[in-house]
Amino acid sequence: MSVYKKIATCTVALGALCAAQIAVAQDAPPVVTVVKVTGENWFTRMEEGVVAYGKDNTGVSTSQIGPAKADAAQQLRLIEDLVAKNVSAIAVVPMDPSALEGVFKRAMNRGIKIVTHEADSLKNTQVDIEAFDNKVFGARFNEKLAECMGKSGKWTSFVGSLGSLTHVQWADGGAENAKKYPEMELVSEKNESFNDANKAYEKAREILRKYPDIKGFQGGSAIDVIGIGRAVEEAGLVGKVCVVGLGLPKDTAKYLESGAVQSISFWDPKDAGYVMNKVAQLVIEGKEITDGMDLGVPGYNKVSVKQGPGEGIIVVGEAWVDVDKSNYSQYPF
Amino acid sequence: MKSVFADRQFNFLVATNVLVVALAVVFAGDTFLSLYNFQSMSAQVPELALLALGVMLAMIAGNGGIDLSGIALANLAGVGSYLLMRDWVSVDEVPLAFSWLFALIALLIGLAGGMLNGALIAFAGLTPIIATLGTQLFFTGLAVAFTNGSAITLGYIEPLDNFGNTPVLGLPMCFTLFVAIAVLIGVVLRYTPFGFKLYLMGSNAKAARYAGIPQRRILLLTYTVCGVLASVAGIIIAARTSSVKWDYGSSYVLIAILIVVMAGVRPDGGYGRTVCVVLSATALQMLSSLFNFLDISNFFRDCAWGLLLIVFLATSRVDLRAFISPRR
Repeated sequence: MSVYKKIATCTVALGALCAAQIAVAQDAPPVVTVVKVTGENWFTRMEEGVVAYGKDNTGVSTSQIGPAKADAAQQLRLIEDLVAKNVSAIAVVPMDPSALEGVFKRAMNRGIKIVTHEADSLKNTQVDIEAFDNKVFGARFNEKLAECMGKSGKWTSFVGSLGSLTHVQWADGGAENAKKYPEMELVSEKNESFNDANKAYEKAREILRKYPDIKGFQGGSAIDVIGIGRAVEEAGLVGKVCVVGLGLPKDTAKYLESGAVQSISFWDPKDAGYVMNKVAQLVIEGKEITDGMDLGVPGYNKVSVKQGPGEGIIVVGEAWVDVDKSNYSQYPF
Repeated sequence: MKSVFADRQFNFLVATNVLVVALAVVFAGDTFLSLYNFQSMSAQVPELALLALGVMLAMIAGNGGIDLSGIALANLAGVGSYLLMRDWVSVDEVPLAFSWLFALIALLIGLAGGMLNGALIAFAGLTPIIATLGTQLFFTGLAVAFTNGSAITLGYIEPLDNFGNTPVLGLPMCFTLFVAIAVLIGVVLRYTPFGFKLYLMGSNAKAARYAGIPQRRILLLTYTVCGVLASVAGIIIAARTSSVKWDYGSSYVLIAILIVVMAGVRPDGGYGRTVCVVLSATALQMLSSLFNFLDISNFFRDCAWGLLLIVFLATSRVDLRAFISPRR
């Protein structure tokens, strides 16, 4: 008896689940954006861009999905199912680019277009989109820091981990730029925060103890400035120590207000989502993306195009956004 | 009596599989039924199902048996094997030998890791959940330390890539391997003295001790097999992603347990069928892919997993009561 009962219950439950989610029939070629994880502010903001592009352009139907947990395995499975489903194009923000090489290759063999973001090491992609040149981005941090520090004094840099390529590039770009100012001295560079605000906080406290006269911090991972800001606040050094770095307006608001963090920079994921889908449509239509092209979004008005490590190209924009105390509230993420 | 119950579970799981396919036909249409999709899904199953088989063995052994270290050991096997090999054997010159050697060393790492678990549980007398939680952190820590936390790309190694992705006679090779392993485990559990003793020990440890069953040796052996299964999963992961990383599949621990519980393996030990675990894994895989086909949010999927688990546990609870009551 109970087998039937079980089956019946499951049928009802599953049937209800599926029926509730039945999508409206879509004729336009589907472009699916796959992000690292669903529910994070960053990717929720990206979804706005993805949806906006679908609304503005009837030529494609856009949607965004992502695993419930930031796990490369889950992302791979999602993409494999999309390949089996035979969608027109997949736009991906890879959790771990190297884990996706195989599935991208198989996807392209089936004629599915692949567009990626933040993965300039990927071989099997048609177009990789970078918001900006990472060295230049790092140099900009340093320029801000130099200005705030009066171009002299000790400073240090943070990275999420030494394995995070972009973070290391920002730190190196900053160090490179600081050579212009002989008075600035880089001490114990590239501290690892492991993307954890508490670790960043403890590391910053250590550094403040070790170098009481330190004047500047450059954050790498988006939460570094939060941890550093807290350490600076607690040490009563607000206004005496400069903190700049990657950060998100909402998360960093408290420290921007208190003055512990001077300015943060980021790129708007909404624009990145929009541009990924725009590029996906261009690729579907067989159009070429050329150097200096205008992709119709601020920061991507004049993109530079270079050859990637594989067959594909890398499209680089200048899509950084700098905010400080005065204007952070314009960005709701 | 036991066999009736077993068949019921089996029937239920077969019906669930059929049900999912039927739902897929109704809601997702032809693309879901395409050969490509079935190949894609069957290539996705093995890594998780192998871990689930390990958990099943640990659970059958009783004494609160469980193996939480599976995916950590799988990743360590991949990471360790590649790092040991890459200076010795050139990938470009002898790709086939490289692949076999890679698999061999990974298996040895799995063997060692499994023996460590077994020794902690059988000889040091630690509770399995604590012991394997500890080794999970240990294995993960080793893999992080070896790689500095970043992924290592293996590059395109043809034999390995074929193993992970290319269908032979319509089936991906890793799936064929998985089926072979499952059959082997099923046969061993059912027809060998080892399997008999394992079930006996799981259902009544005290009686088993008085019956002179070498508990320590069996525990050691069981967890060693878990370790080897994990390393096979690690090889498959490396083959399918062409890379090794310490935190790949960090969500697998719980999903593997879900598969095992859905398969009706008794968490207190003494009962569990391999074929049920396989069917449970395939049902979950097809359901998961179906959800992706229907653009169902992944949070929703987690919710669905939970729902399934509760529905299942609840109905099996009722089942159990009928089982105990003088219905016969």
